[in-house]
Amino acid sequence: MIKIKVKCFSQVRYALGIDNLNLEFESGTNTSQLEKFIRGKANGKLDGISLRIALNQKYVPDETELQDGDEVAFIPPVQGG
Amino acid sequence: MVIVKIVNGPIEPFPSNDDRNQDGAELTFNGRVRDTEHGKKIVALEYEHYEGMAEAELTTLAEKTCKKYPINDLFCKHRMGKVEIGETSLHVSIWSKHRKEAIGAMDCFIFELKKRVPIWKWAILADGTKVPSECTH
Repeated sequence: MIKIKVKCFSQVRYALGIDNLNLEFESGTNTSQLEKFIRGKANGKLDGISLRIALNQKYVPDETELQDGDEVAFIPPVQGG
Repeated sequence: MVIVKIVNGPIEPFPSNDDRNQDGAELTFNGRVRDTEHGKKIVALEYEHYEGMAEAELTTLAEKTCKKYPINDLFCKHRMGKVEIGETSLHVSIWSKHRKEAIGAMDCFIFELKKRVPIWKWAILADGTKVPSECTH
């Protein structure tokens, strides 16, 4: 098993109603599987919202394998400025 | 040179400097909070960022902009937390030999900032409720 911390911002936090999640998954779980899990937890509130994935504070491609202790953020469209 | 700062209070502008003898252009942009978001009246915006990643992305972007355009300096401040209507949320100053590269660099920097730097805004409505802004302009 691996432990993952998910940080929630903007629409993700609004949909889930929480700032952070601490989760456990089977070894070999990847970011796309985690995204599916998070979208499921949001009960449709994230439908139509594109999410980029940051792993340990860097953007990564889909299906990047997660490691024990990773920090993941699903990045909704950004709005600086 | 690049300076990037994320600040919590009102933005103090970078000073204009009469000693920049090599720079013929000094370009400053101030992004300010409007009183509407998607056609709805708001009373303020509240900015949040992914601490650590936002600073790193902003610095990388500023450095890339300085490599892409022949500019001498790019300084940027982005405010977090509650920002009232009319106040500055983003302040960027660029210095270069000629105006054309400064204008190009400014447009590129802000365009990319709005694409990849993990900063978001929440609209604060008249009744006090706070909702994620839908604006991506």
